[in-house]
Amino acid sequence: MSQAANDSGFSEAQERALACVLDEIIPPSEDGRFPGAGELGLVSYVRKQALDLVPMIAQGLTSLDELALARGAADFATLPRSERRGVLEELAAREAGFLPLLLFHTFSGYYQQPPVLEALGLEARPPFPEGHEIEPNDHSLLDPVRARGPVYRF
Amino acid sequence: MVDEVVDVLIVGAGAAGAAMAWSLSDTRMKIVCLEQGGWMNPAEYPSTQSDWELRQFGDFGLSPNGRGRPEDYPINDSGSPIAISNFNAVGGSTILYAAHFPRFHPADFKVRTLDGVADDWPIDYARLEPYYEQNAQMMGVAGLAGDPAYPHKELPLPPVSLGKLGHTLAGGFNKLGWHWWPSDSAIATVPHNGRAQCINLGPCLTGCAQGAKGSTDVTYWPAAVRQGVELRTHCRVREITVDEKDMADGVIYYDADGVERRQSAEIVIVCCNGVGTPRLLLNSRSRAFPDGIANRSGLVGRNLMFHPYAMVQGVFDERLEGFKGPMGCCIVSQEFYETDPARGFLRGYSYEITRGIGPVGTALSGMSSGEIPWGAGHHEAYEARFDRSAGMVAICEDLPEPHNRVTLDPELVDSNAIPAPRIEYRLSENSRKMLEHCMARGQEVLQAAGAHSTTAQGPLPFAGWHLMGTARMGTDPAASVVNEWGRAHDVRNLFIVDGSIFVTAAAVNPTNTIQALALYVADSIKERLANLFD
Ligand SMILES: Cc1cc2nc3c(=O)[nH]c(=O)nc-3n(C[C@H](O)[C@H](O)[C@H](O)COP(=O)(O)OP(=O)(O)OC[C@H]3O[C@@H](n4cnc5c(N)ncnc54)[C@H](O)[C@@H]3O)c2cc1C
Repeated sequence: MSQAANDSGFSEAQERALACVLDEIIPPSEDGRFPGAGELGLVSYVRKQALDLVPMIAQGLTSLDELALARGAADFATLPRSERRGVLEELAAREAGFLPLLLFHTFSGYYQQPPVLEALGLEARPPFPEGHEIEPNDHSLLDPVRARGPVYRF
Repeated sequence: MVDEVVDVLIVGAGAAGAAMAWSLSDTRMKIVCLEQGGWMNPAEYPSTQSDWELRQFGDFGLSPNGRGRPEDYPINDSGSPIAISNFNAVGGSTILYAAHFPRFHPADFKVRTLDGVADDWPIDYARLEPYYEQNAQMMGVAGLAGDPAYPHKELPLPPVSLGKLGHTLAGGFNKLGWHWWPSDSAIATVPHNGRAQCINLGPCLTGCAQGAKGSTDVTYWPAAVRQGVELRTHCRVREITVDEKDMADGVIYYDADGVERRQSAEIVIVCCNGVGTPRLLLNSRSRAFPDGIANRSGLVGRNLMFHPYAMVQGVFDERLEGFKGPMGCCIVSQEFYETDPARGFLRGYSYEITRGIGPVGTALSGMSSGEIPWGAGHHEAYEARFDRSAGMVAICEDLPEPHNRVTLDPELVDSNAIPAPRIEYRLSENSRKMLEHCMARGQEVLQAAGAHSTTAQGPLPFAGWHLMGTARMGTDPAASVVNEWGRAHDVRNLFIVDGSIFVTAAAVNPTNTIQALALYVADSIKERLANLFD
């Protein structure tokens, strides 16, 4: 297992740790319809979006490992799931930028992924060029508005 | 480039500049328009990409300060609770606008007479009515005749689809017996003048890839260019110059390569919007006009009006298909439009029902409001909100107050080192009371429509998209900047045509009226060509 940063700017261990963090941010749903964000492969999305901030994220991941170590685990990825949120919150209190940055990119990346959109009952595509069909207008709903007569001043 | 004197020089190719150029083009005068932005390519608009929701935080952002486009100029709006929103391109801010396209009401032109506040306009609804009609044809306005909030008007295109969301909210208005009507919208609901029809993409506010939204790059400009108008893009005007008779004789501008150039003209027409126009006028200092051209009244930049906006949202049990259909155009309510002193404020507001937000928008807004947590409970909270939120914005009439103003920032400059505008604006007590009223009533109507929880926020800090009043129209040169047909009192061949010349703001989106004014001023120029400078 190498600690050196690979092409992505993260080491393999850091990538695994980041995937665990992302799964904490958006875990799989209990009914199995929605995958976890890490499991969905959002690590590469986050890296691409926050390219300039990879060193800051890497630093945060190192800090997470240290906090996990203090709780008797080898690193964050091997920490029992029940303890991970507490560790993330502990870090958030110390390093203000780390968690909000990951929250923003995880929330925005997750809801662009085809499996997630399909689980929401949507077609996984941008709006253009297909657009959307909409039900026809029911203008009879305007009858009471018409019945009131003019409502403006001259 | 040789400086050939042109008959008409228009600065700014947005809503007003486009209508002006098209209308004047039938005179066969030599018309040049200088625009600091370029042509947009609809094939590259965000709605063609899977990250369409995120681009509104980047290169399609509302504020020129964070957008990072070279054609933008910075605006110091730190002195205002409402930030300026605009777009700089052929089409101007109509590239981003929602195309909600109401007219002013007849009463909006006589506010002092009816309500004892602000000032009456020197023109009335009847004067602008034929121009609203002409504009409806050119912009392609969709709507339904018979709205009891207006004198009779016919619109050329059938109304936008209300969708499940619109029908649901209409039920709430009916329950309370309140006015509502399908929105007048500059959206081609059927093919119109070579434009494809709306296919309900949703995100109109980041440009319409379908070309159905009436931004002026797809409405007036192609027609104006066909008729011989020369539109020079990536040309930023620094100042308007004057001759020894105090007449405007042209402008100095920077071309796409940053080279300083001069363009001479017989007539100069400024259409840079309610912030860009006073900025240009104030930057145009000379011996005759030490405080900026056309500013002998001292009113250039003063009386800045926005429409203070509130947003009211409700969460429903059922899915509403709110992400389908034009974002800002659905139904409108003008139940509280006209003054009722019993409400504790003068003048009134419109509700503009907005469609729901997409999957990413739902996640991010839920994150910032704290309603969608990370970790346990995320999916349940998300699904309770996604496509189940609906609501509206309230557009409140702002009253003109001289201390609300655009000046030049002493330090901030754009990429051509031209001084940038600075905004000083305070929300009035009248606006505050109006905002409270519309937030309370708005929650009431959403509950009547079936919302199980509601929230309201106002004023919206990012909603400075209607820019008005900063070179007001009037008959008295001491109390206004332009006369009743748009000509500067102080400079007989200088015209100003955009929201700057509004006397009051009304409680509707301004662009239809800005363009009706442009067509009216253009006709006034054409009628007087023989003795225009008298
Ligand atoms: C997000 C958003 C939503 C909106 N929604 C609506 C809506 O639903 N309905 C509605 O009625 N209105 C809406 N508006 C407002 C509407 O866009 C404006 O009222 C309208 O575009 C103003 O027209 P204008 O011609 O005065 O200015 P603009 O359209 O802003 O055009 C001004 C042009 O002048 C150019 N310019 C400025 N200074 C210079 C210079 N020194 N040299 C060269 N060129 C210059 C600019 O680049 C720009 O292209 C919205 C605006 C925004 C930003």
